[in-house]
Amino acid sequence: MGMVPMKNVVITGATSGIGLAVCESLLLSGHRVIGIGRSAESSEKALSYLISKTNDADITFFNADLMQMEEVRIVSAKIMEYIDTNWDGKLDVLINNAGCVRSRYCTTKEGYEQQFALNHLAAFLMTYSLINPLIKSKGRVIITSSESHKGMKIRWDDLMFTRFYRPLMAYKQSKLANMLFSFGLNDRYSVYGIRAYCIDPGLVNTEIGLKQTFGIVSLAWSLRRKKGVQPDVPAKTYLYLVESDKHPVGLYIHKNKPKEYSSYVNRENADRLWKISEKLCSIEFGRFQ
Amino acid sequence: MNVVITGAAGGLGRAFAVECAKRGYNLILTDIFEDGLKILKEGLIRRYDINVIYYACDITDEQQIEKLKEYISIRNIYIDMLFNVAGIDHEGAFTQRSFAQINDIVKVNIEATLRITYMMLNFKRTDEPFRIINVSSLASQFPMPLKAVYAASKRFILDFSYALNEELNEKSVYVLSLCPGGLATTKSAIEGMAVQGFFGNATSNRLEVVARRTIDKSLRKRRVYIPGTLNRIFSVAGRFLPVTMVTRVIYMRWKRALSLRCSM
Repeated sequence: MGMVPMKNVVITGATSGIGLAVCESLLLSGHRVIGIGRSAESSEKALSYLISKTNDADITFFNADLMQMEEVRIVSAKIMEYIDTNWDGKLDVLINNAGCVRSRYCTTKEGYEQQFALNHLAAFLMTYSLINPLIKSKGRVIITSSESHKGMKIRWDDLMFTRFYRPLMAYKQSKLANMLFSFGLNDRYSVYGIRAYCIDPGLVNTEIGLKQTFGIVSLAWSLRRKKGVQPDVPAKTYLYLVESDKHPVGLYIHKNKPKEYSSYVNRENADRLWKISEKLCSIEFGRFQ
Repeated sequence: MNVVITGAAGGLGRAFAVECAKRGYNLILTDIFEDGLKILKEGLIRRYDINVIYYACDITDEQQIEKLKEYISIRNIYIDMLFNVAGIDHEGAFTQRSFAQINDIVKVNIEATLRITYMMLNFKRTDEPFRIINVSSLASQFPMPLKAVYAASKRFILDFSYALNEELNEKSVYVLSLCPGGLATTKSAIEGMAVQGFFGNATSNRLEVVARRTIDKSLRKRRVYIPGTLNRIFSVAGRFLPVTMVTRVIYMRWKRALSLRCSM
């Protein structure tokens, strides 16, 4: 059995749930990791946990509240600097894993709906910001999506659900946006050797539905999560996508295998969302020069 | 339509800003946090084709208000709608707060609101309506132990708004008081509702719905808006039950919620 080459990985939402489990398995396999956590406190806790579980772990944490686009810009600049000095300007895998659930319409400083901002826009802007080191190593982008993207459409006339907010619909839409973003990214960057994937982690026992929620949402999730698997189960799929020698086939991956995804995920919708996302982040992403 | 929003960088102010932008109104935003205003402006102009300007100031400071007035008048702007959203609360027993904190509640919630309203009326268009939306609270409906000063300050706003509306109605100035229950605007607001258990959830309102309906009602010249059926029932019940009894029930509820919150 040949040794798997060491990979440089950036992962968001690294301090709990799936992200923490993925960090642990990456570090145990000897990869180098940058984790992003929301607060210094949670990063500190995750760091000491990871160090206690692994020897010689090469992990660095950065803190940012990624639903604020401003903070994505600041932290990605810091990460770029780190990658240039320590990783020779190369990033093998970016894992956009951070996500949230809300029980009510809440907005970011920009006035964006929080689930859309964190689950989709943060991933979009983070990938844009780190695209050069990804190109340099012909890297991969992994996004934590969900089976809940199926049977959903994008509300083009009211993306941020300002009309009547339905928490679960907003969540499903954000996960569909992840799929559309990966599709669009492959369209634009596969010529550079980059490949994007969405992972369906299945039902996992994490605290995602309990943070900053109340009432029916937190109650429903506290019951439902009990049926979920532990986060180290989906972590195996992430490790597979990180370590595979060649880019594995497929866009939507569940348990190391490509899985069928919604027919709504097509070029027309991906391009449409891409343009809106560019505008919302005020960037130009992947236009041919 | 030109709209002024105070406290625009916070949850409810921001929701009003988004709702107004959606309707194509031009915005003049103010808040004490300049950073928040700048970011909100960027977010709004990316989404909607409107004009947004902002001016960061402390609305309790007379001189800064003068500068805000200058800022508006040199631009030759007329105003059609004013949202008095800026407000604060320092929850807890009266004697357990510093007097400075208590005074701050009065200064922001009452004095600054009056000052801004007085000043902005100068920018009314002749022969056009001028709408004022004063953010009161469900707390204005009852005396509230442990939120005594806050509730009383919101009662002031409610009564003042009714009276002002009557006074200026013939000059086509329309004043609406918004009396919402809990709104999930910040992490601590969400925690505050969670510790109140069932009633915290039941009396809370949906931010996006409140923002939309408040504007609709103001356009229809309504004078008060208490969002949520249960909140309206409470409000009516509060008028018929003896005030001492209502106050005692509220005191018991808040005492419990507050102690739960402190033990968190």
